[in-house]
Amino acid sequence: MWGRTLQFLPTKSLREGLLPWVIGVMLFLCTLSLTGTIAIGKGLASWSAGLTSNFSVQIVEKEVREREQQTSDALRLLKATPGVASATVLAEAEILALLSPWLGEMPINSDLPIPTLIDVKLSEGATINSQALSERLRATAPGAQLDDHQAWMTQILDLANVVQLLLVGVMIMVVLSTVAIVIFGCRAGLATHRESIEIMHLMGAEDKLISKAFDARYLAHGLKGGLFGVLLAAGILWLLADLAIKMSQGLISAGLPEASNLLWLAILPLFAATLTMVTARITVRKALLEMM
Amino acid sequence: MISFENVGMRYGMGNEILTDVSFALERRSFHFLVGPSGAGKTTLLKLLYLAHRPSRGLVNFFGKDLATLERDALPRIRRRIGVVFQDFRLFDHLTAFENVALPLRLQGAKKAQVADHVEELLSWVGLDDRMHARPATLSGGEKQRVAIARAIINKPDLLVADEPTGNVDAEMSKRLMHLFVALNKEGTTTVVATHDETLVRTVGAPVLRLDKGHIHLHPGGTPIDPGV
Repeated sequence: MWGRTLQFLPTKSLREGLLPWVIGVMLFLCTLSLTGTIAIGKGLASWSAGLTSNFSVQIVEKEVREREQQTSDALRLLKATPGVASATVLAEAEILALLSPWLGEMPINSDLPIPTLIDVKLSEGATINSQALSERLRATAPGAQLDDHQAWMTQILDLANVVQLLLVGVMIMVVLSTVAIVIFGCRAGLATHRESIEIMHLMGAEDKLISKAFDARYLAHGLKGGLFGVLLAAGILWLLADLAIKMSQGLISAGLPEASNLLWLAILPLFAATLTMVTARITVRKALLEMM
Repeated sequence: MISFENVGMRYGMGNEILTDVSFALERRSFHFLVGPSGAGKTTLLKLLYLAHRPSRGLVNFFGKDLATLERDALPRIRRRIGVVFQDFRLFDHLTAFENVALPLRLQGAKKAQVADHVEELLSWVGLDDRMHARPATLSGGEKQRVAIARAIINKPDLLVADEPTGNVDAEMSKRLMHLFVALNKEGTTTVVATHDETLVRTVGAPVLRLDKGHIHLHPGGTPIDPGV
């Protein structure tokens, strides 16, 4: 794969000393962006799957008897609807608990007319035509309002997609910046070692052999920086995942990779090393072509 | 073997450093290149060791026209040329041994062969106890001998030396000239640029004299030192 190599460059060069660290920082940002993108994707998938497998029906009617009648009619209709696994009327205490953040603590037998809430769960893989069901419900129970979370879920999904796109954008910018940094580093390296390269040329070294000396060097820089960046990011992700599990926040914990799943990050230093080496090779070959 | 015909050389849009330079170096020939500072010696040497292409004129190396030569073909020709730079141009991070071994390693020589050749040559130039020293710890004369050893290690067809005896004492200077002449007799075409007229008279080889970018060939005289 490598062919003949001849390492004529000094092993240490002050002008390249910071390069692995800069690559490391770039990889750190890249890893966080990539993980963020995946986390949002995974989180939304499981979250929306949870939401689309159930919906709620409210019976809004002032008259208690009428409300009870409509509730019973709606329940009958819902249970007879194909795909519906269960339809359960929430107890008044549960509804009040749901309303308490907005209305405060209230006694169960207060005068405030509280709508009846029916929690409907769909069978696995089942889908319903919410508009048709809504119309049938209204025909049976005029006070019935079907809420399949679609309106606000669409907004959240749109927002999440924008955030995902932004993160992908950040990732692309980080990769491009890394390429630019490697090009600058490489040019600085070429300037530093110009005399050595010229002597090698005059002794009869081919461009390929000279650029290989840079290949090995920049591969090592990329690998070193990549490992540093990814290890740092993995540590932070592990802490976040741990924190999310402790907080039991569904959206966050569903998306973050678990500590045991962080192994996939190991591929990123190899990516960084390859990217750095290929960029260096192209830069060096181009620069060598300008020499006689 | 090497010929220059009406060669002119200028850097960028500047004045011509060399004007209508024509000469031929036959196989096994030995020439001195002399001339005052600024006459174009360094530029001519750079053309001779293929660091530059001329601005105009015909240059032929080992039967190949430089103007039509592809860039990829240059390394093969350069490997047939040994160069002794006035400022040595050794790799500071490599030892004397490693510096001298580079041309052989470039040609893919085996490790044992490299070791034998390099040790023998470094011993010959009196550096057997300095083989593993880095250039920073060598004296000017020692560096010069390492540079010469590097230039001749692969027995080049053409040896171009820029002031090769500038930093050595008279005795070492004589030894190095013995070496150059011996290599020349074995078939290495040699061009030595020097300011040392005594050295020129000692060897008695033909002289290429550069003056304001023009070249004049003077035939060689009788060597003063019959050993050389």
